[in-house]
Amino acid sequence: MSSPSHLSLILDLTPVPWDALSHSTPPLRLKDFLAQALVFINAHLALRNENSVSVFGALPGRSMILYPPAGSTQVEADENTFHVFGQVDEGFMRSVEQEVEDLQEVEEDVPPALVGALTKSLCYINRLSNPPPPSNPSEAPPPPPHSRILLFSVSPDASVAYIPFMNCIFSAQKLKVAIDVCKLDESEVIFLHQACHLTGGAFVPITQREALLQYLSMCFLSETETRKTLAVPTLDKVDFRAACFCHKEIVDIGYVCSVCLSIFCQPVLECSTCRTKFSPDTLLRFGNMNLNGHAHTHSNGTVTA
Amino acid sequence: MPPRRDADFNISDDSEPEDDELDEDYNASRTIRTKGKGKGKGKELGAYAWEASYKRSWDTVQEDEAGSLQAAVQDLVARSKRRRCACSWGDAPIRRTIIRHMMFLVDLSTAMMDRDMRPSRFDLTLSYAREFVSEWFDQNPLGQMGVVGMRNGVGERIGDMSGNPQDVLKCFLDKTLLEPAGEPSLQNSIEMARASMNHLPTHSSREILIIFGSLTTVDPGNLLDTVDACVRDQIRISIVALSAEMKVCRDMCERTGGVFGVALNEGHYKDLLFELVPPPADKSPVSRLAAQAGEGQSELMQMGFPTRLPATAPPSLCVCHSRLRSEGYICPRCNSKVCDVPTDCDICGLMIVSSPHLARSYHHLFPAPAYKAVLELDGKEASACHACSLPFPTTARAPLQTEEGMSPHGRYRCPKCKHDFDAECDLFVHDVLHVCPGCG
Amino acid sequence: MSDQQHTAQLSPIHAFLTTRPQTALSRLYTRPSACLAVFRLLDDVARQIVMSLLWLDSKTGVDLTAWVVPNEDSRKHYAAALQDLVRLHIAKEANGRILLLPAFQSGLRRALTGGGEHRSFGVPCPGARGKEVMATEQLDDYASERWESILHFMVSSGSSAGRVPPPSIAVIFLLRRSGLMVPIGAERHPESRITSKGFQFLLEDSHTQLWELLLQYLAMSEDQGRDLVEVIGFLFMLGSMQLGQEYSTENLSETQDVMLQDFLDYGLIYRRNPDDHTRFYPTRLATTLTSTSSLAFTSSKHEKAASSEGFIILETNYRVYAYTENPLQIAVLNLFVALHSRFENLVIGRLTRESIKAALANGITADQIISYLTVHAHPMMHKNNPVLPVTVQDQIRLWQLEKNRLKSENGYLYEDFNSQGDFDLVLNYAKQLDVVLWENREKRKMFVREDGHENVREFIRRRAES
Repeated sequence: MSSPSHLSLILDLTPVPWDALSHSTPPLRLKDFLAQALVFINAHLALRNENSVSVFGALPGRSMILYPPAGSTQVEADENTFHVFGQVDEGFMRSVEQEVEDLQEVEEDVPPALVGALTKSLCYINRLSNPPPPSNPSEAPPPPPHSRILLFSVSPDASVAYIPFMNCIFSAQKLKVAIDVCKLDESEVIFLHQACHLTGGAFVPITQREALLQYLSMCFLSETETRKTLAVPTLDKVDFRAACFCHKEIVDIGYVCSVCLSIFCQPVLECSTCRTKFSPDTLLRFGNMNLNGHAHTHSNGTVTA
Repeated sequence: MPPRRDADFNISDDSEPEDDELDEDYNASRTIRTKGKGKGKGKELGAYAWEASYKRSWDTVQEDEAGSLQAAVQDLVARSKRRRCACSWGDAPIRRTIIRHMMFLVDLSTAMMDRDMRPSRFDLTLSYAREFVSEWFDQNPLGQMGVVGMRNGVGERIGDMSGNPQDVLKCFLDKTLLEPAGEPSLQNSIEMARASMNHLPTHSSREILIIFGSLTTVDPGNLLDTVDACVRDQIRISIVALSAEMKVCRDMCERTGGVFGVALNEGHYKDLLFELVPPPADKSPVSRLAAQAGEGQSELMQMGFPTRLPATAPPSLCVCHSRLRSEGYICPRCNSKVCDVPTDCDICGLMIVSSPHLARSYHHLFPAPAYKAVLELDGKEASACHACSLPFPTTARAPLQTEEGMSPHGRYRCPKCKHDFDAECDLFVHDVLHVCPGCG
Repeated sequence: MSDQQHTAQLSPIHAFLTTRPQTALSRLYTRPSACLAVFRLLDDVARQIVMSLLWLDSKTGVDLTAWVVPNEDSRKHYAAALQDLVRLHIAKEANGRILLLPAFQSGLRRALTGGGEHRSFGVPCPGARGKEVMATEQLDDYASERWESILHFMVSSGSSAGRVPPPSIAVIFLLRRSGLMVPIGAERHPESRITSKGFQFLLEDSHTQLWELLLQYLAMSEDQGRDLVEVIGFLFMLGSMQLGQEYSTENLSETQDVMLQDFLDYGLIYRRNPDDHTRFYPTRLATTLTSTSSLAFTSSKHEKAASSEGFIILETNYRVYAYTENPLQIAVLNLFVALHSRFENLVIGRLTRESIKAALANGITADQIISYLTVHAHPMMHKNNPVLPVTVQDQIRLWQLEKNRLKSENGYLYEDFNSQGDFDLVLNYAKQLDVVLWENREKRKMFVREDGHENVREFIRRRAES
């Protein structure tokens, strides 16, 4: 029998895009979404007795673990619900409500701390896959689970976090964790594309939001082992653009410092990262391209905006 | 035969007559035996370097009240982990050479058949070399590596400079092609490596890594002239010696800004080799010299980040092989299709790389801040690790020896975001993740 | 690895369920807990197929073949999984379109979403709330003691040494019924003897053992005219209960009350107060019924350290070192190891030709011995590849082959042919039919397999007539 699997959910709970989603057609309210996510979590736990789940949330400027809760929650047994589901549902909903209540005045321009949630999730998975040595040496530790991450994205890429985000992807690769992305809105997310592509995860934009649960159970539920038999939709076209260091703009042609590989959207005299001074001839060489290059980037920026 | 001088015999005494070699051996073994008995005479006998540095692990471990060694052992494990990261994370210099070119010179002389390392120097070197190459390309995705073997008094080209790890790994796969023979020649091999790096652009690093098992070298001319040439060409030479230290080797490394090390055993050999994996900090005398001379060794490069076409795309001809294929990468400037990256676009000459390739080396530039061990609690700390949410131990464990960088509470704090992390996550964040979960 | 999965048999309970009529299964599927349990015991791919279809309300079904990875292996795997689903009446297939049957679909939906008034996950005891929860260790100890006493009883009955107090009559009846044990002498004789099937049973892991016994229980219940849906439903309900929680019998049918009493003997449930028949605790044996791996299940406090990890070291010189003090494990080892010394936590023995032959005579096969040793190999042994020394494995197999030196086959001897010509003619004919087992031209004798006898005799008769 294959080993159990761990599913780590990352929810973007930023109020603004959720507000927009609940007013779009068809509407998707946070409450409905959470209910469907819960059924999905139950389905994952139903697959196998040993399956486990963790949930992380991202809010503007901060991230937190939503499940498992820090303290043990005593949930009253209910004759109509499987006890495992009951515990998760209770613990998860409680902490989401807590966080939403705690939410202060919404700062418009702070991007959601997706990277924070992602790093926490990876740390959590790292702890699961490298459990501390058992207190009794003759006792076998349970086999480490196969882990994967499912990220619900509702907002466009935050290019500010380009480098940390890429670091997360590489760590996920090292831990052999697939990152699946469920895209609930239509904004452009090239870094998430790259994440799915590099870790071998599924990327599914939800085109019919009323059928969210169907999407979830069809595309994101299957374990790594099962995916060898029943395929999941992966990305067909991957955009390998990067964010420049100077203006955090996403560029397709950039200028790269040969010493430290910092990316700039236009030729510069000195590398801002490693303080290397570039020879003036180089600048001259790019002199006439400069205009083209910059114009290109700029037009690109307006398209995405 | 009774020992002439017993316990007070001091082996480091230089005046020991030379013709008394047998006796010396005898006495040496004798001293070790005395030490083994441990009757309080260990100190004065610890004249050998290896005896002095030898720590008996059973002395440092203490039983707890229940008579269990567990806590003590875990403590030791945790401490050795801390020590390792403390060495590697120091304050990282921000200038590192990211685009690297390395010639890997492997000694294939008969000295490599020596069995002082198991199973033999040669076999061990091959297996380490394979690991080294994969790790090296993992951390230096834009690097290139070539392989030269040293045997029968000449340098032998085994693998050309290549950016594809598979090509380089192939060099170390077939053992029969690398069978050691004859004497090595440092000069011939270095000259060969130097020649193959001549054409490289100035902004990339040029390095030579030599694994040297022999104690001799047969050279056609003056080896020191070759070293001068390397200094001129800004080639950094690093040597891992398997036999003993040779003055000429150490000089060679020091003058070119490389690293020299002699492997003590199998583990140490690997450590020495893998220290050369991360990109070198740019502080060698060579590059400083160059910077002073005002040579434009670094420049700005224009690069394009392509779009990858899927296997389901309508097939079209690629510009590199004119083959009809579905997959490929689209040059962002001229929209022509190339098969693989990184490459130079055949149409507009733009260097096309995938951005993840670049991003792989960024953690060298922007490392996560080193966490400080929390020594005292003020009662306001979070009860669980900020990263993995596992609770911290509630009782402080008194460390056996107070050591730098160990927290008795198992808490390590980020200087930037002031969150606490446990030792395991600390290690993971700095070894793998390179992002602080609190700041990110 | 993947090949193995395709050919993997349905789990025993599924195999049992497929023999049931669709109406019975539909009735079973009205219980969400039963749906969940059946679902959990399915193969990976089958589970994913169910999940993909679960929330679809389409009346015509969907074609999933587009999702199958296009290679031979996956297609086979997919087809096998689909067939299982159809046989279990979970889904039906028409023109390549798959559709979940409504009974199962609504049952599993209700299990996942929770709520409703079906009460199929067991009614928790109202009094237990607030009171301290039963320690799981205590439950584990109780369960393992009960379960091992059954196994130990089986082992010890084979040998004369160390009589163990027999379990209840009902258990012995079940053991006899399943052919694991037979009565000594007369049918009604109280003493029982273990059969070769019983020995094989002992070498299985406890999860398999439990299911094997429960299947027998199901068959027995059917004979007794109980409602199987009730019985299976109750089993699955037990499987979905929470360890350490006390449940009330308030919602149980009469059949299920009787079952409770039986399960008490197997250690599946526990009553804190033996006289209070209105409440019970499920033990770990019960709550892991629907888990697919047997790892989650350790049956004894002695075993906890050993059994989950393994305790046997087998050396190339046939010596066996078993780090255990569990009498059951020692008794099982004694089936095929010549034990000669015993220490506090260690038993030393040797695999000898005699000890293996004794085991073979009991009906245990070489492969079972090898698999038992492999499964329970000490962690140190896992550093070897293969885990067991090859020499010993081969020798055990050779010893088994030794047993089979003679092969018997029924047939007819033809002799007293009149002439060499006649003999050759018949021999040629028989050879064409490929039924000759032995021949001797000098003595004009040949031996023909039973199935060829008719033809050869007919041939000779025709020759004689002409």
